[in-house]
Amino acid sequence: MHNLILKAKELLENKIVSVIIGFETGSSGKVRPVFITDSNKADSLIFDERCIQNLAVYLTKKEVKQFGKMGIVATLPIMRSIMVLISEQQLSPENVVVLGISGDGEVLDFADITVMQHYIEKCELGNPAKEQDMLATLNRLNMQEKFEFWQKEFSKCIKCYACRQSCPMCYCTRCAVECNQPQWIPVQSNNLGNMEWHILRAMHLAGRCISCGECGRACPVGIPCHLLTMHLVDQAQSYFGVYAGISDKMSSVLSTYAPNDKESFII
Amino acid sequence: MARIGVFICHCGENISATVDCGRVAETIGKLKHVAYSTEYKYMCSDPGQTLIKDAIKEYKLTGIVVSACSPRMHEPTFRKAAAEAGLNPYLCEMANLREHCSWVHEKNDMTTEKAIDIVRILVEKVKINNALLPIKVPVTKTALVIGGGIAGIQSALDIANTGHKVILVERSPSIGGHMSQLSETFPTLDCSQCILTPRMVEVAQHPNITLYTYSEVESLDGFIGNFTVKIRKKARSIDEKDCTGCGLCTTKCPQKKIPNEFEEGMGFRPAIYTPFPQAVPNKPVIDREHCTYYIKGKCKVCEIVCPTKAIRFDQPDQILEIQIGAIVIATGFDIKRTDFFPEYGFGKYKDVIDGLQFERLASASGPTGGAILRPSDGVVPKNIVFVACAGSRDPAKGIAYCSKICCMYTAKHAMLYKHKVHEGKAHVFYMDIRSAGKNYDEFVRRAIEEDYVNYIRGRVSTIYECDGKLIVKGVDTLLGAQPLEIVADMVVLATAGVANSGAEELAQKLHVSYDSHKFFAEAHPKLKPVETNTAGIFLAGACQNPKDIPDSVSQASGAAVKVAALFSQNELTREPLVAFVNRCSPPLYSTCVGCFLCQSVCPYQAIEREEFKNRDGKTIKTVAKINEGLCQGCGTCVALCRSKSIDLHGYTNNQMYTEVMALLNVY
Repeated sequence: MHNLILKAKELLENKIVSVIIGFETGSSGKVRPVFITDSNKADSLIFDERCIQNLAVYLTKKEVKQFGKMGIVATLPIMRSIMVLISEQQLSPENVVVLGISGDGEVLDFADITVMQHYIEKCELGNPAKEQDMLATLNRLNMQEKFEFWQKEFSKCIKCYACRQSCPMCYCTRCAVECNQPQWIPVQSNNLGNMEWHILRAMHLAGRCISCGECGRACPVGIPCHLLTMHLVDQAQSYFGVYAGISDKMSSVLSTYAPNDKESFII
Repeated sequence: MARIGVFICHCGENISATVDCGRVAETIGKLKHVAYSTEYKYMCSDPGQTLIKDAIKEYKLTGIVVSACSPRMHEPTFRKAAAEAGLNPYLCEMANLREHCSWVHEKNDMTTEKAIDIVRILVEKVKINNALLPIKVPVTKTALVIGGGIAGIQSALDIANTGHKVILVERSPSIGGHMSQLSETFPTLDCSQCILTPRMVEVAQHPNITLYTYSEVESLDGFIGNFTVKIRKKARSIDEKDCTGCGLCTTKCPQKKIPNEFEEGMGFRPAIYTPFPQAVPNKPVIDREHCTYYIKGKCKVCEIVCPTKAIRFDQPDQILEIQIGAIVIATGFDIKRTDFFPEYGFGKYKDVIDGLQFERLASASGPTGGAILRPSDGVVPKNIVFVACAGSRDPAKGIAYCSKICCMYTAKHAMLYKHKVHEGKAHVFYMDIRSAGKNYDEFVRRAIEEDYVNYIRGRVSTIYECDGKLIVKGVDTLLGAQPLEIVADMVVLATAGVANSGAEELAQKLHVSYDSHKFFAEAHPKLKPVETNTAGIFLAGACQNPKDIPDSVSQASGAAVKVAALFSQNELTREPLVAFVNRCSPPLYSTCVGCFLCQSVCPYQAIEREEFKNRDGKTIKTVAKINEGLCQGCGTCVALCRSKSIDLHGYTNNQMYTEVMALLNVY
């Protein structure tokens, strides 16, 4: 943690970055994101096992971008989110400095994006074990049972769109659900509309989700919506052999074609 | 207030046999906003069209639905009729009652109900159709012809003679192609070079043709009428202005043992060479791969002997960028060679050769001066076997198609042999004789009846060497599949014609489609054999499939006419049914977030980047923009766009939604 603070101070003092996005201690034993622009305040930075939020979501927010060049405390999912954002031209590599945190909490020094890419390549990229188990349990259900499970879960949805807001990949200025001419997806919360929303969200993240699980954690009513996108992570891997966010020059699996793609999904 | 007119066509009996057209017209006529609804036997006929035009004027219609056949054929007809009556043509929609209903269902009430539904949803759609204006794009009246064989030469000359500029690109040092290698041509047996070389000279001297030999297409951007091509002019290592083509360098070059490509490996050439004496341009080129100077760093004999000091060892490749309006692909074909026929001992036995090698042997300018001599020992073969369909029509070999030219050139080869070796015996193994063409079958009959060529219907299973002779084992299927063995001095394989090397890469550079054999694909096998699926790019000659000279030349002229027709207009008019990315007022400019996933999915490279800059010139936002000239309106980008920022004119999200809703809502 000491190293992290030193590094943040150095970046701010030398004016390499204008803002550091990181974690600080919040109220009642919780951590919260912090945006530090003054090196004197960098001492509040912390990093421990509670710091799991995907901070990359702030990199595309205009309120944060206006500071100038951004430094970000980044765990593996955040690093991979950054890769997706660069690939999709939402973030310029010149505009971000990554303060990497390794799996065991060490501060990593990435000279540039390529070094970070080499680090990511060496990491375990699949879904976390807990979620993988939950997916396995769900996949054992038959079609009807699965449908009933999700019907029940989606019936809780209040269409607050916290899942969308917490996801770094949901960076559109206007979301498809806000498109009202025509209104393909209803505004109000109802069973059919809720399902439409969640399927739409999952499909928009197909081949782009990096398994951070933020959407599920953000959900105020506890819908495990992250399982939908994580299932698609598995699918993208098995059909196309690709994990998202492993390079800054990736094209989407859904918009590219390779002659050796498996075509088992074509009936 | 919308006033929609609906016109139900019987299509003779095609529709009315299963659909109750009267009931459809009556039911639709009762719908809200439908001002006029009628039926007629043939809407596409002149009286039918007049009926539509009169109704538009009389009922002041704001949109029409013609319920007839597939829009493929008659949408332009009815849109034109609408336009003539003063209605914007894009306010005319077609309901497909034939392919989508009458042809696929039995005659009953449900069929009629379905017909009503189909018409109904289009009535709802046409209510919110927008009037669209055709897109105009300018035309650059310069053509690019790729490939300088007979097809490319013919196309270039024909286009140039219509008064338009032509850029002719050929990757080898001279134009002429395979035709320049041939000895004599069927079915008249006139000398190939004698009829070709005047054309080659004409190309070189034509004021409208710019010739780039030893050059290749590097990349292509743009769209019909407005292409930008990059051409790599490979370094010839000589100054073409200073070189007089005297050829002294080629005689003095110490490196003389390079297999000659023009002689199909049966002769040698130096490192600085012109491919053949009649080459156009008649300027040598240094083969850097084999030149002693480039390999060892010293030699420069050519530089010393050159009387005009034209050698340029340090000449770099040049990249030329040229604006063009249309392209003719005439890259020709190649034939299968050695390793493809292990069972025929090709490559192992020197006296088993391919058709092009035989052409060189029979050619007066060839390595033997026109005498038929075996490559191994230079002896005149007394017994010669020709194997037709070597590789062709052989699915086991991966080539199921007929190479088309082999039957004729094998007959020609056998004849040429008999004309030169009177006492010799010529045998031809064939599967079928395919000699369709003017004077073609007569030619083959001449070989059999007047030159006594022994035609054997059957295939050859194996060829092996025994005591300096080639034993050809085959079968005579006309004699009850009798096994047959011929002791031959020489064997000529009429190997399969295949796509030229580099065809696939070129197709990808030009964004045109090609088939599984890497031959360029035509837009329609019957009605658009000269066009490719990419507008403004045409095909000529054997790059499409193996073709003989007359076919190649006719197609080349056909392609030239297509180019000339395109160049006869100053502006091209395109259907406005293209995609568009929405725009709104600053600071948003567009709901597009610039992820450019649409760019990677667009099959037509129609998506560009548009930058919005502030007053200091700093880019504030980059969003997608559709190039209307390139977009074909396929809608793939629309489906992919997550923020629904792209829409398709004529098929907007709103129109589709309206159609679906009309179908779901009971009327």
